[in-house]
Amino acid sequence: MEYGSEQKNTGGHGHFNKEGIMIDFIQMIVSGVATGSTYALMGLAMVIIYKTSEVPNFAQGEMALITSYFAMMLLTTMNISVYLAFFLSFVFAAILGAFLEFAILRRAKEPNVLGMIVITIGIEMIILGFVSWKFGAEQKVMPFPIGPYDGFIVGDIYISKLDVLTLISALLFMIVLYLFFKFSKLGLAMKATQQNSVAAQIVGIRTNRIMMLTWGISSLVGATAGLLIAPTAMQPFMMWDPMLKGFAAAVMGGMTSLPGAVIAAYMLGIIENLFGGYISIEFKTVVAFVIIVLVLCIKPSGLFARHYVKKV
Amino acid sequence: MKKKLMFILFVSLTFLLSFGPNLFAEEGVTDTEIHIGQWGPQTGPAAAWGAVARGTGDYFKWINDNGGINGRKLVYHMFDDGYNPAKTKAGVKELQEGTGMFAWASGVGTSPGLAVKDYFAKKNIPWVGPASGSKEFVNPPQKNLFAVYPLYEGEAKVLVKYAIETMGKKRIAIGYLNDGYGKNGLRGALSSLKAHGMESVAEVPFEAKDSDLKPHIMKLRQAKPDMVLLWVTPGQAAKVVGISKAMKFDTQFMSTSTCSDFIFMNYITKGAWEGVITATFGEVPDSKLPLMAKYKEEVFGKYAAKEERWGIFYYAGILFVEPMIEGLKNAGRDLTREKFITAMENIKGFKGIGPEVNYTPYKKGDIYSRQGTSQTFLVQCLKGGESKQLTGLMSTK
Repeated sequence: MEYGSEQKNTGGHGHFNKEGIMIDFIQMIVSGVATGSTYALMGLAMVIIYKTSEVPNFAQGEMALITSYFAMMLLTTMNISVYLAFFLSFVFAAILGAFLEFAILRRAKEPNVLGMIVITIGIEMIILGFVSWKFGAEQKVMPFPIGPYDGFIVGDIYISKLDVLTLISALLFMIVLYLFFKFSKLGLAMKATQQNSVAAQIVGIRTNRIMMLTWGISSLVGATAGLLIAPTAMQPFMMWDPMLKGFAAAVMGGMTSLPGAVIAAYMLGIIENLFGGYISIEFKTVVAFVIIVLVLCIKPSGLFARHYVKKV
Repeated sequence: MKKKLMFILFVSLTFLLSFGPNLFAEEGVTDTEIHIGQWGPQTGPAAAWGAVARGTGDYFKWINDNGGINGRKLVYHMFDDGYNPAKTKAGVKELQEGTGMFAWASGVGTSPGLAVKDYFAKKNIPWVGPASGSKEFVNPPQKNLFAVYPLYEGEAKVLVKYAIETMGKKRIAIGYLNDGYGKNGLRGALSSLKAHGMESVAEVPFEAKDSDLKPHIMKLRQAKPDMVLLWVTPGQAAKVVGISKAMKFDTQFMSTSTCSDFIFMNYITKGAWEGVITATFGEVPDSKLPLMAKYKEEVFGKYAAKEERWGIFYYAGILFVEPMIEGLKNAGRDLTREKFITAMENIKGFKGIGPEVNYTPYKKGDIYSRQGTSQTFLVQCLKGGESKQLTGLMSTK
């Protein structure tokens, strides 16, 4: 297949034949969806906590990071099956999230949102430092049933198996969590805790437990992203970019809307890829944050969240 | 009164004499010690390169246990700058003005190194072997700074020359990190292409924090290159090569010496690194050179931490400071900075585990009075991370 040209490629996409242009375009969309899936998982994890506590958890990425290293430790030192190791890692992630809420955040004296944010940043740095110290900074390889570059070619479009798995996980989590918040008693209790924790306590909701559970679930969702990123880039800083972009997606989606975060994440992934491909690869990473600024200026509550006004 | 005066004089003289050797000695040198400083990222995004500073530390321990230098032991002061130039600057100042270093060894990175280059120059503090091949360290040359790492620009020239002249490549694309390191490689590649009457078919910049690299790969692929030169971080290079192969983007990849740790690169790419050609600033890890075997057994085997790996970054920490040790030995027992600089300038045809090192007396405008190495050779990654030497030493000038 011929899709190249003799023209030098320094910024724009140059002149290629029609078939080549179409293949590149579709490949960019596919890559954008794949990248967006990772952002979606991180965005979902952040929204879950924000929904109940109105605190953006900046330790989300590092919670996923330590869970991934925990999985690797199980796989390399204890020689257990991948599936058992992943199951134990999910248990670890849930306990870690619940523990952090119970042992650190709950202990904050007269906390305000800013204080809580600072605490999450502190947790992030502690976990990052611990992982670097314990496991070293050199890139490692996570034993995983799917190889980092395993994939299939469909009509000249490359689709990575890991990306497909990430996409399925993100959509599955979104649906399950959406139904959970909408229809389960526990989900409603979580919503009530966010909207008015004092009133929730009066009607018998144990808000502390709800918070702990929320952190546990959120940690588990984030850990899924970590475990799916680890096979291609396992090093202590692997969660920085996905966490920031996941946060960006959550903000764009409105911070309280699960489908909103997911849709925004896919939008970000696709826009980034198309922007990198057709406009400027140098500003590809920045474009996500430019979009957020624009969205927040035009619609401050985000694209998909309902804007609540507290009545006094 | 006279007795009292004599007593005061006696006490003062005794006091002065007890500090005598230090009062007149050079900063960072005592009767028994030479203080050497170094920074290296042990945390942060470039922490994988932190092995350089640890390698130097273990090498100094080995030297001390083998009698030291001219009756003195090396006291090594290493700090973690996290590859953050602001931290490098603060740490260097603190150690230099607090403890007092005689000289500085290596130090990872272009940006951290450039942040303290002028500070060392102003105080004429010797600095040997910055762990970077950026031309900015020797252009213009400084009296106090002796570079060991072959220039990135020269490495890129050699790689492109080999691709064109030996492999017959005609469409060359370049993926480069959008910083000093990457731009040095880009500059070298472009000048070599120009010398062959050619132009690149694509120049794709990468940002250090880019983790989604598919758009970059697409950009490279669109240009239909028959060779892609990668001047990016090892993690990014691994991803580009791995995904490209999976995408059936079949081209010859070449890369810089920072990606020449084939065992590591092969491990993180699960074998996709096979076939990649890189330049290298020293012997390969499994080299049969007797000195390499000696270092592996006596330095790495005895002093390295349990989790340390005999990788290229670890022994680069030795390679970059070998000329410094030679200079210290030749400067003699009466050690001063001036004598050390003169001893360094007299190093000719020195051969350690890297390319031959030569310096000349300081000459304004002559970068090779301070750029000690001007050779590199090319290696290709084979199955299992083994390496095949493709060329003999080639000039990077």
